[in-house]
Amino acid sequence: MFHAFFRSTLPVLPLLLVLSPVNSSSCAMENKTTEIHVKYENILIHDINELVNISAQNRDRCCRNKNHKNIKVFFCNDTQEIESLQSMACNMLRFFHKQRISKAFRWKAAFVSCGTLQVLKCKCEGHRKEKVCPHVNVFGKEDTETGEQSRKKCNQEVCELKENISSLRSCWNKFEKIISR
Amino acid sequence: MTQPSTVLSIFAMFLHTTFGESGCTSADGDGTLGDDEPDNFDIDCFSQLDIKDPFSSLTCNFTELPPHNTNYTLSLCTKEDNKYMCNNMKKQEDAYFLQFTDILSNRDLCVFSETKRRVCRSLVVTHIVKPEVPFAINITYQREANEYLIRYRTPHSGKKYLEGKLMHQTAYRQKEGTWKTIESPHDHVRLLGQNLENNASYEVKVRSQPNGKFFKGTWSEWSTSKSFRTAREQHPTESYSSVIMIILSILGFMLCIVMIALIVIFWENRIKPAVWPNLPDHKKTLEKLCKKPKNNFDISFNPESFGYVHIHKVDGIQAKAELENFLQPSIAPETSLPEKFRKGSDLKMIPAMTDKSNLNLSVTYGGLWPAEAPHRLLGTSQFAVTEGNCSSSTYEVCHGNSVPLHNSGGSNFSSAPPLDPSGQPSPEPPDDDTVSQMLPSSEMRSPNNEEAYVTMSSFYKIQ
Repeated sequence: MFHAFFRSTLPVLPLLLVLSPVNSSSCAMENKTTEIHVKYENILIHDINELVNISAQNRDRCCRNKNHKNIKVFFCNDTQEIESLQSMACNMLRFFHKQRISKAFRWKAAFVSCGTLQVLKCKCEGHRKEKVCPHVNVFGKEDTETGEQSRKKCNQEVCELKENISSLRSCWNKFEKIISR
Repeated sequence: MTQPSTVLSIFAMFLHTTFGESGCTSADGDGTLGDDEPDNFDIDCFSQLDIKDPFSSLTCNFTELPPHNTNYTLSLCTKEDNKYMCNNMKKQEDAYFLQFTDILSNRDLCVFSETKRRVCRSLVVTHIVKPEVPFAINITYQREANEYLIRYRTPHSGKKYLEGKLMHQTAYRQKEGTWKTIESPHDHVRLLGQNLENNASYEVKVRSQPNGKFFKGTWSEWSTSKSFRTAREQHPTESYSSVIMIILSILGFMLCIVMIALIVIFWENRIKPAVWPNLPDHKKTLEKLCKKPKNNFDISFNPESFGYVHIHKVDGIQAKAELENFLQPSIAPETSLPEKFRKGSDLKMIPAMTDKSNLNLSVTYGGLWPAEAPHRLLGTSQFAVTEGNCSSSTYEVCHGNSVPLHNSGGSNFSSAPPLDPSGQPSPEPPDDDTVSQMLPSSEMRSPNNEEAYVTMSSFYKIQ
């Protein structure tokens, strides 16, 4: 009898381990839209605007070239704005170590990504957030080069990052209008 | 088989309880790390946001000084997946200081002692904000409203987080008096003049604090004080008199401009002739006195040029004015003759010259006397030419000879003188009583064609 009991319940436990939300990439702030709204409105929106201005300073003509048009596009899905923002923010963290992008630009992009993930209480696959954000929050801009040196040639990575930033801002605008109602 | 499954299930249950809520736990349950010994340290911290883009700062100091023989380390830590990422704060005199960029994450302030004891406390950076000190206080008095406008500036204007999120407090007092405060979310406040003493010295200072909607914290330090003096009491009459003075001064100025313009315009035509009259020019005056003959008036001493003129030969003309000469012998003998009258039979009429003559002469042709002549002659005491008149009172027309004019003393005025067969009165011989004051022969027309000069002195004597 005991053998039957353990035989039936034992597989359930590992299954629970697999399905446990420990390593889940879902965000923990899905039901706390008020807190998200005030943090976005008072802090994050200013950093996003700064990032957009920096992105605009990078040459945009090269990204209209047909060679650079094969860029991954992110969508802000209805009723899944938080997941979309999480995906965009985690993707932007990839550019933090891209040397072909100016240091100030990729630092600010990482800073906004970390802020987005912090506000939404989200994590990324592969512990990317834990690997990048502590470095971003520590040394800031003090290691960046001068303004003239920060403008590097246009390349595929710059175009992807610019597209990523644009998608992130649009999705935040959409989400903010929803949660402010 | 049962043994591995048992171990696995126990292990699975153990893992299930340990995973999930990560992080350290403690007996007190407040999230602090380390042992459960009570926290004896009282630390006061404040944050300054965006003090140097992109950094914010955290400043802490012990309110209760720890024992001097013990070194402590303050750290600002971030908890991520059971891991603490800490940044040590730098010690500056009696305070601990740290710059950081992330103000969204939940932080812990941890104190590390030499005994490796660690005590942590949760910290919300956005709730202990201390703004920077305001500056540039400017005070302006608005006379019309009797108000004092106090303007000031804050370093957070133009920065990311605290712009428009602050409450400002303005404190003012009379010298050595008690402070009074006014709070405003704007960058200016107004003090009513009626609430202040006139002609008194006041002092003003300002500080800021987060408005509490999202950012919370403490007051900043006071700005440097600025002093100002209130206006004197202004009576309504003073204001009226000042307005009147201004109006009068403007009107006076405009009047001066108008006067200057009028003087400039009318100087040549009206003002200068009245103030600086022109001295008469003798030549011009003489020209005015001597009338020019009409253009169509022939003037010539050459008889041949008057061939087209019908000349009536006249033997003699008796001017009834000669009676005056007998009656009034004191008449000046220097009566000049106009040069236009000639001796002989030529007679010229000068209508223009006779117009101004005061002598009412009647000239008869052929010895005929006008009826009114005697009355006129007797009544008039003047036969001489008045001043300014070139016309002569007398003239003579004779048969080629100049015969002095005369009047017979007992001649009847009403009777006509005997007529010659030619129809002209015959010349009577001059009487002894003939007024010797006949017209001076020297001044009678001479057959000479020389010009007769009319001098100004002659005019004067005739007068």
